[in-house]
Amino acid sequence: MVRCPSCARLQEPRLICSECAAPLACNLDCFAALGLARKLQIDQRLLEQAYHDLGRRLHPDRFANAPAKLRDLSLRATALLTRAYRTLREPVNRGLYWLELNGRKLAENNQVPAELAAIVFAAQEELSELRAAGSRYEVEGVAVEAMAVIERQGQVMRMLEGLAGELEANFMAFDRIEAQPSEELFNELKRILSAMAYLTTLTRDIAKALDRRAAA
Amino acid sequence: MSRIFGIDLGTTNSLIAVMEQGAPRVFAEPSAGNALLPSVVALRPDGAAEVGSAAIALETNGDANAIVVRSVKRYMGLGGADLAEEDRRRYAFDTAGAVVRFQAGARAYTPSQISAAILRELKRRAEAVLGGEKVERVVITVPAYFNDGQRQATRDAGRLAGLEVVRLVNEPTAASLAYGLEKAAEGQSAAEGKIAVYDFGGGTFDISILNIKGGIFEVLATNGDTHLGGDDIDRALVEWMLGGIPADRESWTAARAAAEAAKRALSTESTTATRVELKDRTIAKNINRAELEAIAAPFVDRTIACCERALADAGLTPSQIDAVVLVGGSTRMPLVRRRVVACFGREPLASLDPDEVVARGAAVQAGVLMGTQGDMLLLDVVPLSLGIETMGGVMERLIHRNTTIPTSTTDNFTTAVDNQTHVDIHVLQGERELASDCRSLARFKLGPLAPQPAGLPRIEVTFLVDANGILNVTARDERSGQEHSVDVKPSYGLTDDEIERMLEESIDLGEEDIEQRLLIIARNDAQQIMTALRKQLKDYAGLIEAGERARMEALAAELEVARDGVDRERIAHLVEVLNEVSTPFAERIMDQALRSAVEKHTLEQIS
Repeated sequence: MVRCPSCARLQEPRLICSECAAPLACNLDCFAALGLARKLQIDQRLLEQAYHDLGRRLHPDRFANAPAKLRDLSLRATALLTRAYRTLREPVNRGLYWLELNGRKLAENNQVPAELAAIVFAAQEELSELRAAGSRYEVEGVAVEAMAVIERQGQVMRMLEGLAGELEANFMAFDRIEAQPSEELFNELKRILSAMAYLTTLTRDIAKALDRRAAA
Repeated sequence: MSRIFGIDLGTTNSLIAVMEQGAPRVFAEPSAGNALLPSVVALRPDGAAEVGSAAIALETNGDANAIVVRSVKRYMGLGGADLAEEDRRRYAFDTAGAVVRFQAGARAYTPSQISAAILRELKRRAEAVLGGEKVERVVITVPAYFNDGQRQATRDAGRLAGLEVVRLVNEPTAASLAYGLEKAAEGQSAAEGKIAVYDFGGGTFDISILNIKGGIFEVLATNGDTHLGGDDIDRALVEWMLGGIPADRESWTAARAAAEAAKRALSTESTTATRVELKDRTIAKNINRAELEAIAAPFVDRTIACCERALADAGLTPSQIDAVVLVGGSTRMPLVRRRVVACFGREPLASLDPDEVVARGAAVQAGVLMGTQGDMLLLDVVPLSLGIETMGGVMERLIHRNTTIPTSTTDNFTTAVDNQTHVDIHVLQGERELASDCRSLARFKLGPLAPQPAGLPRIEVTFLVDANGILNVTARDERSGQEHSVDVKPSYGLTDDEIERMLEESIDLGEEDIEQRLLIIARNDAQQIMTALRKQLKDYAGLIEAGERARMEALAAELEVARDGVDRERIAHLVEVLNEVSTPFAERIMDQALRSAVEKHTLEQIS
């Protein structure tokens, strides 16, 4: 329970005081900040609505004429709200946050997940060949090296889509459980997120390399 | 509480507006009727400053004693190292300090001080029209792509002008508010959807992509260039006109004016003549629209590249944009319109005056802050990533570009050596990998810390970007929970102490000094009329009628007393009365002079 600094009302931690609607910049987790239950599956529209409704009432622009203390609180409360929205809006961020919330961390050692290793290495080779090639020889205006990379990009995108589906399934599994989730479920989440991180970085590298060619 | 006014502090022109009966009202100069105040400031050696058309007059008259500064906005938040060759050719700078200063005689002025003169003039104008109400609180617009230092400089300018800057608002976002308000008048749903605001002004370019829904204006992405504008096209045009001939400051000034005029003419005409008067010759060339467009194309290309980056950041394709709004005088060029249509695949909206839309938007935001705009809310973003310098000179991003503001992030710091008393943090802004390639914002010093072994202290630093897009840093000792003091040394700004000092020093550009100057002008007027009258009373004694002399002499005596006082209004009033009273006398003198001239002429003609 926390006490509102403006009206002194005792209440569950939340962003806006239930009594006087003053900002109450508590240390809330992202779900609580948006007034949502701790569930991994989120309706995007409801999420946006919660964000906009709270934003309308908390934003510093609403407190331009208020005393400094309230202005400061509204600034911090809104920063918290913004971060919460950003974190929960995107499934990967949401998944990473879920791990953090439950005291788990994604491995920091940056090793390529085994099943991806072959693909990532092949892709990196193709990229260096593309960078080395001038416009050596082309088929219908597209360099041969670029064709390989473009195809690889397509493959990576498809894999990412598949992983996104796996992520949703994992979220569903978490939400179904009443008791403590198993360690397997957390490991599964870590595996999916790790793979997505790698492939996302790869896809960015590919896009950058292709962009450079187009610009040249 | 006093009303909040909206100010567009533009590179080329500035405006002031306020909400009245649900709509923005832009203030025009009472005598001239023009709402645009040219952002031109003339600094005189006697310490006085002229703003707007008075400054332009000094520039045209070639008063060598006045330093005329144009586009001061381009110098806000800059250090000496940021100045380009062409900047140094145009003005004399003092780059000894962290902030550039314009040299004018024995004094040197920061861009903030010069901008403050413009703000003061806008304040005076609005107060003159309103007659009684004071302008104290304002919203000032800035380019969306302005970095932290440039924003601070703008806020400093407000303070130096004696204004409370309640909020800085990004120009494209302000424009979208004006657009949204207009559309709302047509019906709520008309204002919803994704819009792109293409803002091409005199000195800066911004592109912002927004989502408007239920009165919430949410910026999705923003991009731009704070040194890309109509001024650059003018400059390139001058180079073309001169064709490699070097010009001195004077002829360059004349050439620039001719270039700007030609550029504007070619928006409606297909060909125009240009003329540059140099010391030893005159260059006269004709230019047609195609030639101008060839000169302007590289600059316009850069704006389109920014648009593409913004769309990419927003994760949108051009076809997903519902409306394009054009802002800024440079969007009047047909070339710009064509390129915008090509990029977004639709005709841009130009129902709002591109020169006034930002000021109107600023007034709307002022209304939001006053609580008079119902449920309208602006959710803007930080335009450039913020981070800190880490081991190896790498920029570690803490807050990514296009993150909605206000936003905050925390990071933990500790000491590297035993008994270290302070922790230094170097904050940077930019998108590059190396710290040296990014813009240094400030250095923060945390501490003093109690002597402890290395690695033991845990300091939690919170980086908060507020609704103005300005960074605030607070630090807390994680173990004790105590707030640490954070000493901020801005890299390109004025410290609070420096501002206080400037406010205290009665340097010119102060309101009191404007009063002083107006008093001097009034006294000069009085002196002039008294001297002239004395001479006339002597030379044309025969033309004075009974009673007139006594009246005129009595008034002149009163005026003499008033002139030595400080009541400017009384002096002006007496001058007016004296003028009126002596008019019949003056007319008689005129008649006589004319008659004798005609007689002489007739005589000569006959002979």
